[in-house]
Amino acid sequence: MFGFFKNKYDNPALLEEIRQTEEKWFVFLDKLETRLDELCTAAVPELIAVFDQDTDPYKRAHGRMLTGLIGQINQMRQKAITAKEERIIPFMYASKSVLPDLISGAGREYHDRLYRFQMACFDRHHQFEDKINEGITALRSAEGNRGLEATYQQQIAEFERIKDKFLCKQCGGKMSIPKMYFIATYIQCPFCQTQNTYTPSTEMQLLFHQARPLAEQRTAHLLRAYETQHPKNPVLYQQYLRAMFDEWNKITPDMVAENERFYLRLLKDHSINHY
Amino acid sequence: MSDTEKKTTQSYLEQLKQKALSQENYGGEIKYEQAGMQVYDCPECGAGRALADGLTVCAYCGFKFMTVTLSDGIHIKKIDNS
Repeated sequence: MFGFFKNKYDNPALLEEIRQTEEKWFVFLDKLETRLDELCTAAVPELIAVFDQDTDPYKRAHGRMLTGLIGQINQMRQKAITAKEERIIPFMYASKSVLPDLISGAGREYHDRLYRFQMACFDRHHQFEDKINEGITALRSAEGNRGLEATYQQQIAEFERIKDKFLCKQCGGKMSIPKMYFIATYIQCPFCQTQNTYTPSTEMQLLFHQARPLAEQRTAHLLRAYETQHPKNPVLYQQYLRAMFDEWNKITPDMVAENERFYLRLLKDHSINHY
Repeated sequence: MSDTEKKTTQSYLEQLKQKALSQENYGGEIKYEQAGMQVYDCPECGAGRALADGLTVCAYCGFKFMTVTLSDGIHIKKIDNS
């Protein structure tokens, strides 16, 4: 009854197999990590070089290279997941099935050993996943300097230069553009009341899309202050977000209402714990 | 990591870089244009559009500039309908 007086279960071959499987798993992930480090270390300067060489305002060549690299890293991630699903988990279940019942006491030592094996393998995999995420973050942040502030100031100066140089296409009356627009806008002629369509230059239209990165650049120190704190202080994030949106609104004042809705959503998203 | 593996990584990166730079951008290259002013006259009677008369219909001959009803946007508002 209850198996109290049964002989202790003994299977040294299984213990050896557990040890070897664990060792192989660790070596496999070590190798993947070395490749990951090598790839990321070599890729960061190359990414910055491509960013600087890319003349496209949307930096699409840089985007393509970044996507390719992230694809490579995700392949490594997938390799680890496949190995875990094909080697570790089936081995765990297969080994467990040959052990005596856990409550019998006869195989308790082996169940414990198997549990330790499982935890060690899974923990190691979590560490690997963390490294993968760190690698992707490092690649994503590898950008050259966009010079957004200089471009913005240049466009403000350009607007000041051209804003009074337009004539109404209907009556030839002198027109003045009241503020810096980023999208095509109707401007009313003060003389004949005709709606003229003012289309900003391509560079000015692009500023509309660069407003957020520029605001982020201006408030990057606040985000850094938040990210370097452990544990993270949500108040610092709120301060950063408010400052970033204030800057963004200063650049594109026409979008204040839309930006505020976006601000509230980001604030709400941040307060949700994603576990 | 061995020298061979390092060389493989370097050559992979070089290939990727060349491909990324040489691939044509979707939609072609961006054409930079200067700021400009245009006007959309009525094609029927030549009258200009005035905000006070609405932007969708010519106030003089009734020509429909657009068949959609304007809704509130960044610069155009509902009240701009004729």
